[in-house]
Order: sequence, then C-alpha cells, then structure tokens
Amino acid sequence: MDKVKYFFQQSWLLIVASFFFGLLIAVANAGWQGRILQNEEDKFNNLVKDMLPDAETSKVALENVEVESGKGKKKVTSVRKALSADGTCVGWAFMCEGSGFADKIKLVLTVDADCEKLKGYGVLSSNETPGFGDKIKEAFYREQFVDAPTTELVLMKLGRPDIKDSKIVAISGATVSSEAVVAIVNTFLGQIKDQMQKEGLIGNGK
Amino acid sequence: MASNGEGTAGLYKDTLLAGLWRENPVFRLLLGMCPTLAVTAAVKPALTMGCCVIFVLVCSNIVVSLMRNLLRPHLRILMFTLTIATFVTIADLFLKAFQPEMSAALGPYVPLIIVNCIIICRAEACASKNGIAVSVIDAIGMGTGFTLILCALAGVRELLSTGKLFEASVMPDWFVPWAAMGMPVGAFVTLGLMLGLANIVTGKKD
Amino acid sequence: METLNVLLMGFISVVLINNLVFTKFLGICPYLGVSGRIDMAFGMGLAVTFVVTLSGTLTWMIDNWILMQFGLEVTRYVCFILVIAGAVQLVEMYLRKFFPPLYDSFGIFLPLITTNCAILGLCLFLNLWEIDSLVEAVVRSFGAGIGFTMAICIMAGIRENLEMADVPVCLKGAPITLITAGLLTLAFMGFAGMIR
Repeated sequence: MDKVKYFFQQSWLLIVASFFFGLLIAVANAGWQGRILQNEEDKFNNLVKDMLPDAETSKVALENVEVESGKGKKKVTSVRKALSADGTCVGWAFMCEGSGFADKIKLVLTVDADCEKLKGYGVLSSNETPGFGDKIKEAFYREQFVDAPTTELVLMKLGRPDIKDSKIVAISGATVSSEAVVAIVNTFLGQIKDQMQKEGLIGNGK
Repeated sequence: MASNGEGTAGLYKDTLLAGLWRENPVFRLLLGMCPTLAVTAAVKPALTMGCCVIFVLVCSNIVVSLMRNLLRPHLRILMFTLTIATFVTIADLFLKAFQPEMSAALGPYVPLIIVNCIIICRAEACASKNGIAVSVIDAIGMGTGFTLILCALAGVRELLSTGKLFEASVMPDWFVPWAAMGMPVGAFVTLGLMLGLANIVTGKKD
Repeated sequence: METLNVLLMGFISVVLINNLVFTKFLGICPYLGVSGRIDMAFGMGLAVTFVVTLSGTLTWMIDNWILMQFGLEVTRYVCFILVIAGAVQLVEMYLRKFFPPLYDSFGIFLPLITTNCAILGLCLFLNLWEIDSLVEAVVRSFGAGIGFTMAICIMAGIRENLEMADVPVCLKGAPITLITAGLLTLAFMGFAGMIR
C-alpha cells in the first residue's frame, strides 16, 4: 500500500497533466479535423478542375481499385467521375503514385470521358530536386500529357514536345524525374482502364 | 515602490533583448540547428516555422512556469517533454487545417519542434525558475530571435536560388539562379558563413 | 529473394541516399557541441544506432498496431516521444547494470540522445515512407543509425585534420564544421537516384 501511495505522491502531477493535455489535443482535433479533411479534398478537386474546366463536382465511381506497381507490390486507389453542372460525365480522375528521384511522387491523373485521351496530370506531392526535377510541375512537361493517347507512353530525350502523341520529351537535366512520371502513368493508366472497362464504366457510351 | 517597478521593467527589457541578440539561440547558443537548415529554402516556410516555435515556446513556458513548484526532480524532463509534445500537436493540427500548403512544405519538421533543443532548454533554464511574466517575455524574445535568423537565412537562400523573395521576383533578368542554394549544400554553407559573420561582429576570439 | 532485395535496397537507401544527416538535416545539434574526435563520434554513433533501432521498431509497432487501428493518430507525436524517452531510459538502466564499462564509455551521450532530432525524425519518416512490414522497419532503423554513425565519423575525421589547418579566426569551431558538412552533402548527392 505504501508503495502505491509513494507512486501516486511522485507522479500525481504527471497523471493529471496527461489527462489535461489529452483533453486539449482531443478538443483541437475534433474542432479542426473537418477542415483538415476538407483541405485534402479541395486540393484534389482543384487540380482536377484545372485539367477538366467543365467539371463542377466529382463523385467516386470505383473504390479500392488495386494496381500492381511492380516488384510484387500493390497500390490501392479510387476512380472518381467528374461531372459538369448538368450531370454529364466530362472525364475521370484518379490518384496515382510511384517513386521519383528523391521521394514518392503523387499525381492526379485525368482522362476524358471515353478514356481515350489523357487530360493531363497534377502533382499532389513530390520532393524532387528544386530547379530540375521540380520542373515536372511546370507547363513544359505537363502540356505534353494533355490530349496524349491513353496507350503506353514512351520517353524520348529529343523530339517535338508540341506534337500530341505517345512520345514524351524528357526535361533536360531531370531524366529520372521525367521517367518516373511516365512510369507512373503507364503503370496505373493501363490497369485502371482495364478495370473500368470490366466494370462497364467506359466503352459502352456511358 | 517606483524603483521596484523600474527594476521589473528593466528585467523584462533585458530578458527580451537577450533572446534577440546577446543570447540568440542559433548564433550564440548553437541550439535548434535542425529546423534552421531544413525549412529555410524559402522565406514563407521559415516564417511559418518561426511562428510555430514562438507559439509552442510561449505556451510551454507558461505551463511549465505554472507547474514549477509542483515538479518532482526526476520527472522534470518528462513533464517538459509531454507539455511541448502537446502544444506541437496542436500547432501541427492548426497548420494542417488553416495553412495546408505550408504544412506540406514543412512536412515532418513541425513535429521535430518537440526535440528542438531551444524549447527544452528555455523550459529548464528559465520557465522552471521564474514567474509567468518573465517566462513569457523570455519565450517571446528567444522565439523572435530564432525567427529572425530563420528569415535572414531563408531570405539569402531564396534570393540566390530562385531570384524571388516571398514568391515575388526581385532579382533582375540577367541573374542566373544558384540552384545549389536550394539544396542542403547551400543551407550548411550559408549558415556557416553567417555564423562566421556573427563572430566577426561580436569580436569573438577563440 | 524478392523480400531480401527490397530490404537491401531499403537499407542502402537510408544509409547512402536518404542519409539522415546529409539529406534530412537531422542529428546535427549534439554533434556541433560534442568535440571532434573520431572515437567519441564513433561511440555516439553506436549509442544512437542502438537507440534508434529500438525506438524505430517500437514506435512502428505502436503506430501500426495500436494508433492506426483505433484512429488515435493525433496522439502520434506524444506517444512517439514518450516511447523514445522510455527506450533511452531503459537502455541506460540496462547498460548500467549489465555492461558497466560500456555504460562508462558512452558517458554523457545517452541522456543527450533523447533530444536527438534523428531518432524522432526517423520514427516519423518510417510513417511517411509508408513502410508496411516490421522487418523493413527494423532494417531501415538500423540503416539510419549506421548512416548517422558513418556521417559523424567522416565529419569527426575531417575536423581532426582541420585542427592543424589555418582556419580564419571568425570561422573556427561551428562555422567551419557547417561548411565542411555542406561540402560532404554535395558529395553525397552523387548517390541520389541510385535506386529506382
């Protein structure tokens, strides 16, 4: 009994403080959690809106889509349907990721309503070299993906970036980052297109 | 009565100024290096980090000062750590909710404020021995000194690595950005040179 | 064989490519204060490796098996730092009881390690990198410790030689150490992109 008493004597402040701090954190969390989740949604939606200007809302079309990302690893993403103000489908958007030069690159990929052409990508998060790999966020590289076909893309060192075909010209000085983006698109696009066709979302004029 | 009042005012002023220059945490006490190097790639993240540190410093100093007479010696550090961890969690939640881009830019360095030597040292050296008023002023002084250094370092790095300051173009067109400044190299070397400069200014002889 | 490959790549990535000191700026603070002798640096490195492997594993387990299961992620930072402080305390007590000479040689470093940014930093990075297997977490934590040890031993070696060089008075001490570290960072950048 004495030992317990001694224990409490020594640590009552710790216990009381823990309760108080726990309460503080819980209150802050409860208060702001809504905003935090909203911010993440907004980021995704803003990028989609950039690429599909007619899209007013988006709703989830396919959840828990599994994609084989090589080396036996699987990634899970979900496909969202972008709808214009009157409810017609203007395209599809999904999140994809892969490893870049430094860290992971997370992209939002959008395709048109028939999944025949890419409508571009937006960078959700990346940690590439500033001034070099960072250029994947810039127009020169991003523009090449707009209206490119949804087939396997090929990276070239030199070429015509303005021609919209499946050949993508790499950013000079940032080969690995450019390759990473193309690899991510190739990995995810093909498999998601297959799964969307299987589910009947595309290919039936839906 | 008047001299007592003057004495307290003098102590406050002294404490405030100490944090700003004489005992500047980075230059003289060599504390808090990790975030200094990591977040100073641009001025905006540096400023955000500085404000977070000021917030955590003030709150933790207040709480520790309130508790100072109840602390058991061997649980002291644990109590400090718990307090600091709580306030850092709250600051992190706040950033995620209201400044998501800054939160993403600062990444894991916000929770690393917990082990930022500055805060624990101030709690140990000042807040656990003085009343609330002095603790708060000490916190503000140290925090501001730290923020000033962060911003100075960030200003130099951002200016030289992108030609912009606070995301607004400042350098003339012929300036070719020094990409190295945005990378770890630039951080270490600039901080080293600034420390050397501070040593010259204060006439340090070793 | 596949797993072994992944583990090896993970290990090398943390030691060379994402070295905690040179790319993530962690673990600098205590180093600047501690003297620049190689044997002290090595001792500190070993102590850090020991603690970081232990804490990395423990925090990964708590994070994945308890916090995420019950939606308590918001208490992550508090839990991590408490686990780290506890781990350091445990290591200290264990060493003092069973390996007194080793404890004496670690000296002041052990208590200092709790506030070493590298430990908490690694625990948070394990979370950020979305490591999903316990073995990989252990390997990466160990790798982080080895990387840290390597980094500060290199710096200590250079510093020892710098003692005999003609450094300007204003740059003596911390400034020249930082500049050295910066140049080392540049050298290590060569490893980037080694692993796809």
